[in-house]
This record gives sequence, C-alpha cells and structure tokens, in this order.
Amino acid sequence: MEKFSFKDVLILFAGTIITIGIAWVLLTVTGFVPREIGKLFFEGAVVGQRNILNTLNIATPYILTSIATVVSFRVGMFNIGINGSMYIGGLYAAWAGYKFTSLGHIPHVSLCIAIAIITGSLWMLLPALLKVYAGVSEIISTIILNFVAVLFVSYMANGPFRADPIAPATPRILETAELKQYFPNSQFNSGFFIAVIIAFLTYFILKKTTFGYELRSGGDGLVGFYPSRYSSYLGIPSDRSAITGMLISGGLGGLAGGIEILGNARYFYQELLFNQGFDGILIAIVGKLEPIGGLIASLFWSALRNGGLFVDYKTEVSREIVVILLSILIFFVSAQKLVSSLERFKFVRKLDAFFTRKIK
Amino acid sequence: MEWLEIFDISLFRSLIRSATPIALIGFGAAMCSASGVLNIGLEGKMLNAAFVGIAASYYSGSALTGFIWGVSAGVLTAILFGVLSFNLGADEVLVGLAINIFSIAGTRYLLETLFKRRGFFSDPSIQGIDPINFEFLVDTRFEKILSGYTPSIYLVFFLAIVLYLVYYKTRLGTAIRATGENPEAAEDAGINTLRMKWLTVIFSGVLAGIGGTFLSLENMTLFTEGMSAGKGYIGLVASSFGNNTPLGTFGASLFFGLGDAIGIRLQGVYELDSRLILMVPYALTVVVLILIGIRQRIRVRPVPIPEQ
Repeated sequence: MEKFSFKDVLILFAGTIITIGIAWVLLTVTGFVPREIGKLFFEGAVVGQRNILNTLNIATPYILTSIATVVSFRVGMFNIGINGSMYIGGLYAAWAGYKFTSLGHIPHVSLCIAIAIITGSLWMLLPALLKVYAGVSEIISTIILNFVAVLFVSYMANGPFRADPIAPATPRILETAELKQYFPNSQFNSGFFIAVIIAFLTYFILKKTTFGYELRSGGDGLVGFYPSRYSSYLGIPSDRSAITGMLISGGLGGLAGGIEILGNARYFYQELLFNQGFDGILIAIVGKLEPIGGLIASLFWSALRNGGLFVDYKTEVSREIVVILLSILIFFVSAQKLVSSLERFKFVRKLDAFFTRKIK
Repeated sequence: MEWLEIFDISLFRSLIRSATPIALIGFGAAMCSASGVLNIGLEGKMLNAAFVGIAASYYSGSALTGFIWGVSAGVLTAILFGVLSFNLGADEVLVGLAINIFSIAGTRYLLETLFKRRGFFSDPSIQGIDPINFEFLVDTRFEKILSGYTPSIYLVFFLAIVLYLVYYKTRLGTAIRATGENPEAAEDAGINTLRMKWLTVIFSGVLAGIGGTFLSLENMTLFTEGMSAGKGYIGLVASSFGNNTPLGTFGASLFFGLGDAIGIRLQGVYELDSRLILMVPYALTVVVLILIGIRQRIRVRPVPIPEQ
C-alpha cells in the first residue's frame, strides 16, 4: 500500500462530505432535524469528561486490533481471525484472573496479560504454519478458527470454567487482577495506556529496527495485495517473518480480549460478543496500514461510535447509522482507482509532491 | 446403542434444512473462487436479501414479491461488490468485510427505523413461501423423505447437478476455471476474464439472495438481527472443503448440515456437549485443506528436457 499522500486526504475529505450528505438525507427523511442530531453527536463524542473517557475506553480494543491487522498485513498475511484470538485471550485472561491467588497487583495483572498474549498468539500458530508449509489460504483458515473459537469459549464457559450454576460464566476475577478504573463515572481503565504504548512500540519496531524491516519486507513487496517473493530474493527469510508476524498479530488480538476482560467485563460469560476484530481491519485500512495511523483512526472511529451511542440514548435515531456511514466511507477510501484517478489533476500532483517532500 | 436413535427421519429433514443455505452460499462461493474471486461479502448479501425479502412480503402481502425483492437485494449487493473491486480497484477481501459490516448495521437500522423493533421482526401479514407437497408421493414410504420441503431445497439438488455439468462439460465452465487458474493464459485464449468474474459474482449474488430469502421467508417467516449468523462464511468454508467443485461443495454443506442437526438434537440431552460436535466439520475442513495443500506441493510438474 502506498504512503499517505495528499490525494488520500482529499478522498477521505470528499468521502466524509458525501457521507455527511447521506446522513443528512437519511435523518431528514426519517423526520429528524439533522442539525440537532449533529450537535448531540458531537457532544457524545468529545464533550465532557465522561464522554471523552468513554470514547477512549471504546478505543482501546480498536487500537489493538487495528495494530494487529497492521502487523499481519505488513508481513503479507491476511489475518481475518483477530476476533478468534480476542475470544481465546479473553477467556484465558479471565481464567488466570481467578485462578492465581495470593499474588500482588502488578505481578498478577502482568501474568494475566502475558497469558492473554500467549494464548492469542498460539491460536494463530496453526494458520501461519498451514500457510507457509501447506499453502493453505490464511483467510479461509482464520475464518474457520473464528468459528472454532466461538464454539470453544462457549464450551469452556459452560463446562470446565463454569462457576455460576444459573448462567454460563467464569468466576469474577480477583481484585488483584483488575486493570484499574480511575474514574467513578466511566469504565475507562489503564488498558488504554497499554494500547497506546503498544502502538508507539510497533511504530518504532517496524520503522527503526532490523527486525521490523525483515517483517515489513515480506509484505511491502506485495503487488497490490498479493505476495511476491521479493524479500526472499534479498535473502530475508520471508516464511519466518510471515510466521512471526502472524504470531504477533494473534498476540495483540489476545491482548485486546484480555484487556476487555480485565478492565471492563471482569469475568468471561458465554454471551460476551467481540466484533472489534473485524472493525479493526477496516480501521487499519483507513490508517493506511501504519501503526500511528491506526491509532488515530481508532480514536476517530470510537469517537463516532460513542457519539452514535449518545444519540441513540437521547433520541430515537438508531446507533447503527454511524456504522453505516463509516462503512460507506470505507468504500471510498478502499477504492484505489478512485484515489489514483485524482492524479489527472495538476494541482493534486503538485500538492502530492509538495507534501511528500516536506514530511518524508 | 441408544445414541443411534437420533438418526431418524426428522434428523434427516433437519439436516437438509440446515444444509440448504450453506449449500446455496457454497455454490456461489465455489464459482467465485473458481474464477479467482475470494468473495467474503456473501454474508452481507444474504442478510440484505433476508431483510428486504421480509420487508417486501410484509408490505405487499405476497410471498413471490418478497422473494423477487430479496433476490434483487442480493444481486444489488453483488453489483456493489463488483463495482468496487473490479472497476474501482479496491481489494476484494476488504470490500467483502466492509459489505458484511455495512449489511449488519444497515438491516438493524432499517429494522429500527421502518418497523420500530429491536432484535427481531415478525408479523402475521408476512407471507412465507409454502412447502411443496407431491401428490403422487402421498402414502408411500418416500413421502416423509422427499415431500414437503420448500422450493429452495429442491433447487439445491437441481443446482448441484446443473452446476456439475456446467463446470465440467461446457465451454463456460472451462472458461471460468481457466480464469481462476491462469488469468493470463485465459486472456490469451480469448476469454474475457473480467466478464467471467462479473458473471460468477452476480451468480453468487442471486444464490445469496435465494439463501437469504430461504432463511427469512421459507425456513421461518421472521427476521432476526444478524440472521445469517455466519452462514456466509460457513458457505465459503464449505466451498474450500469441496475444493471449489459443485459436488464437493454440496457434500461439504450436507456435512455441515449434519453437524448442525446433530448439535440441535443433542442440546442438553446427552453428556456430550453439542458444541464439540459442531466443531467437527471445521476441524475436518482444516484437514481437507492440508491434504489439498500437500497434494499441490507434491504435484510439482517436472519440466521435460528437450531431446537434442
């Protein structure tokens, strides 16, 4: 994928205007006043301590899943199974949260997080190996593993890990394993900081280290999105970096699930629904497969989502309108030919050259 | 051997009913994959069709209108997929995912805005599609096995045979396979590969539309949020289980249907957890994929050395 350029910003801007237009029409047709809804929407997204905290809290899993996507796509693996890793990581974080007693706060939390990361990344080991050694499409195998993960955690919550005789759920995690919630009016917790640190760490590793270069080279030689064996011609073991990238990606997915359990839900139950894994893929695309881009895009995405929740709560407008608009925006952003057709205009070419020179 | 008791006629009927939407989606996915398009968006197409089908049936009071609108919704979503990925150069997988997310949210939004409901929608004025009863089978031993299914179920059996013939015995089938296996060679042979891809995508849209209306108008006459429940993805898995061939996909769908039917039957009856049984088809798919992969590895075509 190409770097962020002026024409991407232009397309994003145009897409936003068009989606706002669509929202305007939808709201007017259904008998609402768009201006008032917009005001409420803005308030819900970023006005006031409580709303901001909720936005950041919603953003936590999105940041992690979008970075998981970034890592796997950059090594040339289409990991659709981040959701599966989230379930597995969440389940085992909950298990570690109630199983290990008599540990201090910091060791216990670290242990739970480590277990979430390890189980999440082990979950991705099979598709990675299958892709490299048997040529099985990782897209299909990760989709399969998503289903298996849901069945598996539902079995575990019903069977071995079940504590409550009425509802299929694990015991509540111990207080020492909880990620701290700082404010009484929001579920915002320290997991957010972990996610942000991970984003910057990924940026640093991918950009500044040899290890990161080896990882990237597996995917940066992609023509469009389809792997060429470019990096192996350079003497970089692309198979190994594909497996490593997939494991890291799964680990980040597991971490996302673990933080959801340790910070928000505090126990694992059967009806728990994760779909941040799929959204994370779209967010990562909006962020142009860059870690920092993913971070910014997830904050944007969750601000919109939280605004939507607020509007849903205050008025009759369905919260789903936000997701509809966001996916329409994705249609615009992902349309590569639409983006490159902008090069026809001279001022776009000039500005493109100008900005790429300046930022570097 | 009391567990053998569950294998009876009603299990068979429930198997066929569970397998039908998977097979419909699977045929579409198989044709798409055969022409080299990985169509993840089938889930969304199915969901849109299910919703539009039930809405049209509710407003018009006619099952046929509902069916036609539902299938059109599936085709329209397929066209959106095609335009974005073929004409505008977006990535197929991303467009597919975006369409799925769009459809889940879109149907839920319309459910809340049009019908003021959350979760599910059913109404006595919705006309479902009635099952077909064959007169000549009444009072024969085949009545319970063969008669009384809704039209889509018969369509699946019909399609399995027709697609098999098209896939292997006609120029069109060869062209589709060539498009997927070696696009450059296909272009050289005078095949319009883009047209082939469009054809399979539209075809998969029609089938996803039928599958969607099967869920909302035939199997039950109601709509629930996220009704397709991953069947679009399972169809994709079934098609890769069957190595993207019509009969293979059909067999795989029956297998997934069997797992489903046994899972429903065992719910809370026996010690064995039904979730473990539901996992079996997926595990077997992985095994099949490994076998296919290994076979392709082994089959390295030796280059003949030209004789001097």
